[in-house]
Amino acid sequence: MRTAKQWSYLLLALVMIVSLAACGGNGTTPDSSAAAPSGTAPSSSASSAGTDGQSGAASDTGSPNPATVVPVSDKRLKFSMAVNAPIEGYDYTAGDPYAKWWSDRYNWDIEMIGLTGDNWDEMLRIWINSRDMPDVCIFNYTTKSHADAASWVEQELIKKMPDDWRTRWPNAASVVDKTSLGPEMERAYDGVYFLPRARFDENLPGDPLPNHMCLSIRKDWLEAVDMEVKDAYKISEIIEFGKRVKEKDPGGIGANLLPITSRPGYTINMFVYHNSQNYNTFYKDTDGQYKWGAAHPDTLEGLKLYYDAYASGALNQEFFTLKGDDDRDQFYVSGVAGAVYQGSTSTGMQINQETRFKNTGLDPDDCVHLANILGEDGKYHQVDLINYWGTLIFSPDIDDEVFERFMDMLDYGCTEEGYRLQVAAFEGEDWEYDANGNMVCLLPEGMPLEGANGKYPSMGYLLGCLKLWDDFSFENPNVIEKYRTRSRDLYADRVKNGSPETFPKTDWTVWTYDSPARRKVSFDYATEFANIVVNAKSADDVEASWNAWIDSQMGLVQPVLDELNAL
Amino acid sequence: MAFLCLSFAKGMDFFMSTKSAVSKENSASLFTRIRRNKEIYFLLVFGLIWYIVFAYIPMYGLTLAFKTYKASLGIFGSPWTGLENYVYVFKDPAFLNSVIRTLQINVGRLVFQFPFPIILALMINELRVGRFKKVLQSVYTFPHFLSWIIVASILTNVLGQTGLVNSFVRLVGGTPISFLGTPAYFQPLIYITEIWKSAGWSAIIYMAAISGIDQEQYEAAEIDGASRFQRIRYITFPGIQNTITVMFILAVGNIMNAGFDQIFNISNPATSKVAETLDMYIYRVTFKSASDFSFSSAVSLFKSVINFTFLLAADRVSKLFGGEGLFG
Repeated sequence: MRTAKQWSYLLLALVMIVSLAACGGNGTTPDSSAAAPSGTAPSSSASSAGTDGQSGAASDTGSPNPATVVPVSDKRLKFSMAVNAPIEGYDYTAGDPYAKWWSDRYNWDIEMIGLTGDNWDEMLRIWINSRDMPDVCIFNYTTKSHADAASWVEQELIKKMPDDWRTRWPNAASVVDKTSLGPEMERAYDGVYFLPRARFDENLPGDPLPNHMCLSIRKDWLEAVDMEVKDAYKISEIIEFGKRVKEKDPGGIGANLLPITSRPGYTINMFVYHNSQNYNTFYKDTDGQYKWGAAHPDTLEGLKLYYDAYASGALNQEFFTLKGDDDRDQFYVSGVAGAVYQGSTSTGMQINQETRFKNTGLDPDDCVHLANILGEDGKYHQVDLINYWGTLIFSPDIDDEVFERFMDMLDYGCTEEGYRLQVAAFEGEDWEYDANGNMVCLLPEGMPLEGANGKYPSMGYLLGCLKLWDDFSFENPNVIEKYRTRSRDLYADRVKNGSPETFPKTDWTVWTYDSPARRKVSFDYATEFANIVVNAKSADDVEASWNAWIDSQMGLVQPVLDELNAL
Repeated sequence: MAFLCLSFAKGMDFFMSTKSAVSKENSASLFTRIRRNKEIYFLLVFGLIWYIVFAYIPMYGLTLAFKTYKASLGIFGSPWTGLENYVYVFKDPAFLNSVIRTLQINVGRLVFQFPFPIILALMINELRVGRFKKVLQSVYTFPHFLSWIIVASILTNVLGQTGLVNSFVRLVGGTPISFLGTPAYFQPLIYITEIWKSAGWSAIIYMAAISGIDQEQYEAAEIDGASRFQRIRYITFPGIQNTITVMFILAVGNIMNAGFDQIFNISNPATSKVAETLDMYIYRVTFKSASDFSFSSAVSLFKSVINFTFLLAADRVSKLFGGEGLFG
């Protein structure tokens, strides 16, 4: 009996040890060197610089073909990569022929770590500051995260590109140079630590660059509430639409009706940003002095519009609880919303309308309309988007072989052949050239290539991507012509409706300014302003709360203004 | 750093409770007891290892409160800056607001939440059918195992604009109530959800204390004609008074921890102003803006010191009123 008792104690102790060990394990960032032996391996790019990246195995056998992939090396590597919004649990090494082509050609296994818009910045901060980052990450470089970036560079927490990277990977370097951010940061840091991913290369729709975000609005409901279907609406017109929809409920939705819906981060854009483009930053005023955009009267005007939308019931009464893509799904999947702030890339439009909206059983041609949002002055308000989205960064501990092979892949992705593969998949299988030399889609109309419902779920902004899809979106044969045209028109209208005052170029002095005082000024404007609006009892109340908030923060803001004005 | 401070507070709790137990024994008899019950004491080893590894060793990180953290130099190598971080901490109006809010929420927890497990334990103890008692106990304990993310989504489904409650409100011709977006409802909501989630679990310790009360006292009282309420009042309640005192002191020692998981999941931009407790503030300055680990360490250390002070004060007050306190 006593022995049995002793055994049971021992067994219990063992279970506890195993539990502790399990808790202590690191499930997210495995050491890549375990799979890829460390040591100074010969550079794969040394032999391939300038050639492998551009042609190599793919061109040896014609255009890329899943059946005839020649690996760049016999040595299998493994690395981890953290990106925003991959498909949870999807096999990005061999889940589909597209993923397999890349992993066969570059002979690697990818451990894809998923981030969401909600935890993207936060996870990278934790990983990088604890020197535990995955081998490759996409960093959301913005003026808000510039202080982090500067701190990481200063402490060498991320890898610096080798001095000869431009000659070794010329195609990648050429794309990075087109992003504006790349050259600016190279100057600021005296070296290259971040590889911004270019939105546009050949087809830049404007300089300053407009964003693709716009309003998705129910066309049938517009007509039902006697409002004109237009290319652009002032904010007050959108609110008017919401009010009428709330009153008439043209879709017969009932209690679930959401005239306008939007997550807090987009709501502030819809009502405040498009009326006051500097609401969340510092700007140089006409008197030559730097000022805080949050304190500008146009910001207050935007806040009052925001309040009107909320107080009148035009805006989803619980917009502040929305997370992720809840708002998009309310419009495009469940069809209970009248308007939502969404993207208008041609591919995005196609997925939203041809795939998601089908769930409603309605015809998107009859029911969905995309339009730009104008400020109350009738102008398009935005600050220069800057020609990039997300930057690639590497762990300082990344294995040399992994780094060089990944760069080879990026460089190949920036060649015409590599880029075609990324945006249109396989020639002969998914597209071909017609007699006039134009690309023709071989897929059934409307069938997406990428995304969870696409032919190749691994496609997207994940593999081999230094040049994003935007550049190709106007000519992509896999996207139905009407969406390409609409996207192009919307971009053109934004440029047309903007002025140098309402749609200014990037002020790099402000964008890259960093100091201890500047680092303390990091507000979550979406939360702060949503709080003011939701808790206000009247428009005057909004103004009083806004004034109080501005006053309470001036202790932190004024030192930064003083510093900027002293430059 | 929030973790470090939580660990610090927990470490202090453990230290005190261990010391309290040990203080009644001389060291020789303690060793004898350990030798005699080595299997039982062996199990304690893992608890001790946990505290050493996760609570005591990480405490060196608290030095960051007086340094400027550089990840490349590590915690030891980062340069000392004296009290500079505290100058910034006390300059930030959001910090003081979060301290006041944390105290306010936790005083509310002591008043509204703390008695619930005691009442529940007393009520369950009074049930006559043993099987029913066990079933009820399991039912009350179950919510403890749900994560706050799950509870928050349940809450949205129940209290949202199109949720269960508001659907009923509409059905009877009323106007939907914004439970989740009204700051005035936030505090009651966190008390109610915490009671729903944890009262059953927390009642276990009181049930255990009740089970230790000599049954003969009840029999004698019954013979003397004591009513059921009188038995609760004069036997059960005094029987668990020491447990209540210890639990209360520990709760007071936790007064600067307002339940991060719960508030993080239940709050939203509409209630952000009433939801920014000290833990939320630390989270925001650490992870939601440019990282400043030294700044958040300074705040965390401040929080731990306040917790510790409250713990000692509660212990002294308890003794003042004739109770035993943590140190016997």
